[in-house]
Amino acid sequence: VSNVNATTFTIVIVLFVIVTGVGFAAARWRRADNMMHLDEWGLGGRGFGTFITWFLLGGDLYTAYTFIAVPALVFGSGSIGFYAVAYTIMVFPIVFIFLPRLWSVSRVHGYVTPADFIRGRYGSRGLALAAAFTGILALMPYIALQLVGIQAVLTVMGVGASSTNTFVKDLPLFIAFLVLAIFTYVSGLRAPAMIAFIKDTLIYLFVIVAVFYIPTRLGGWDHIFGVAQAHFATVSPATHKPLGTFVPTSGSIGSTRLDFASLALGSAVALFLYPHAITGTLAAKRRSSIKRNMIYLPLYSVLLALIALFGYMAVADPVTAANVKKSGNAQLAVPYLFQHMFPSWFTGIAFAGIIIGALVPAAIMSIAAANLFTKNIFVEFFKQDASPALETRMSRWVSLVVKLGALLFAVELPHTFSINLQLLGGIWILQLAPMLIGGLFTRWFHRWALLTGWFAGMIFGTLAAYNVSSATASHWAGSSDIEFGHTVYIGLTAVILNLVIAVVLTLVLKATRVPEGADETLPHQYLAEPDEKPAPAPAGVGAGLEG
Amino acid sequence: MTEATSRSRSAVAAHPVTSAAITILVAAAIFFSLWAPLYSRLTPKLGDFPFFYWYLLVYMPATSLALWLAALLQKRLTVPGAAAAGSPVAASESGSEDVQ
Repeated sequence: VSNVNATTFTIVIVLFVIVTGVGFAAARWRRADNMMHLDEWGLGGRGFGTFITWFLLGGDLYTAYTFIAVPALVFGSGSIGFYAVAYTIMVFPIVFIFLPRLWSVSRVHGYVTPADFIRGRYGSRGLALAAAFTGILALMPYIALQLVGIQAVLTVMGVGASSTNTFVKDLPLFIAFLVLAIFTYVSGLRAPAMIAFIKDTLIYLFVIVAVFYIPTRLGGWDHIFGVAQAHFATVSPATHKPLGTFVPTSGSIGSTRLDFASLALGSAVALFLYPHAITGTLAAKRRSSIKRNMIYLPLYSVLLALIALFGYMAVADPVTAANVKKSGNAQLAVPYLFQHMFPSWFTGIAFAGIIIGALVPAAIMSIAAANLFTKNIFVEFFKQDASPALETRMSRWVSLVVKLGALLFAVELPHTFSINLQLLGGIWILQLAPMLIGGLFTRWFHRWALLTGWFAGMIFGTLAAYNVSSATASHWAGSSDIEFGHTVYIGLTAVILNLVIAVVLTLVLKATRVPEGADETLPHQYLAEPDEKPAPAPAGVGAGLEG
Repeated sequence: MTEATSRSRSAVAAHPVTSAAITILVAAAIFFSLWAPLYSRLTPKLGDFPFFYWYLLVYMPATSLALWLAALLQKRLTVPGAAAAGSPVAASESGSEDVQ
């Protein structure tokens, strides 16, 4: 441990303790009768109004992805990183189309996870298992991204940075993992929801200050954009290509427009297929809360765009650019920028915001993955008479296993751009689009056709991502590859393949009259707005006292 | 099933203009952010911001506005009392999980 700035370090620790302390206290204040009930630990009692839901869903967007991964990509490659901005715009109109339907049908039938819906809609346990497996798998790299984000901040703070020993070098990663594990185990969903509220206020504060203050130090926006434009036009002596793009380009030399659009579209469709985003949705009290949130949430994206611009500020600040270059890790761009631009106490506030901003979504994600395992794999296939207390215990332990998986992703995958971790999760989760989004509107697809399409999409997507290489890594180096002469996000090509197979096989299976399975949902239930709580809570109310 | 289907169809049939307006609003909100060639250029600038960058910033409140209008229009579509016709299935279905 060296070069630790005492002021920054103290402020980070103090803020962290205060914020989590207040979060836990607030969670206790509105606590339900029985924390050992999965509906309580895992869905916060399904009682969140528009306001809390806004923070909960916003928290899904505002993660280390926003603060570390996107600016890192902008710093390294320029305008392609702004796909994240386009993505966080178009996600809301896309979700506006299907999410209220999912909320309604889930509330009527007491579904807690996306896999519950799949099972009810198609009468297929196999398809539900596929959905659960995909959700858990896809969340691991996304959680890994949060760990890498915390690692980046701790590294710049000087925790365990300068050593060649693998364990010491990865020490920040292990610290991040430990803090997250303890935090989730104790909290359940209620505390993260409360903390989301405080940390977002903290984040708004320092981002707004940074956006107004840093440009004045760097000679204004005109200068920042000017330096960035010149920088990305520079031809690299190693690759004989420009370092990046200042706006997405078309034409023969590295066309990035299709890549830009496909990354944005793929990510937008993927976001609300993730179990944690669906968890956030189902925790809402009313259908109108969901719609209202789709209206307010784009305002969150404004901030994301400003944060992406930190990547250009890091390019325009010679000291930061040199620091990042020396470390060889683009993820350090924002932490180094803040460290150089701000007095150490303010840097402490910002760093605390980023750390908590990664911790909260990571907790929500691992809770969602654990719910998925418990509900749709453990109870469904192994122990149908599990008591609610056993379910909650199970979820707690599984959430730990999921985080261990995430740690593995964080250690093993190349670190050039951590955004690839999220995009890899996206490739997998997108394969649920035909069965989940399709299923919300039509029962036309045959369950076996969907399963086959899903399988093909998963295999194709995984292999394609594995085969992407770069100058520094032989595998898993990116999330786009070249199809028919154009660079496209693999997730999108894989889901198109998935969809085509599902359509063709459905036609075949219908013609041969293979049984389609029972559908327990009714058309009007997709528009329903039941009052307050659903009929009995999903995991069996009243049984909650035993165990 | 047929009853519910015909009801949602009749909602669209009863308000063709409103339904079309909702579709257009949502589709436009998606299209104008998806179609990158439309805005991936440098000029005209707004202040110091090249077109690509300020377009995306201005687009966000525009999306909020479009969805707000769409939600407002959707309220006109719902026949009073239609959506509330609830969920007789719910009780028996979720109850059965305990029994198993």
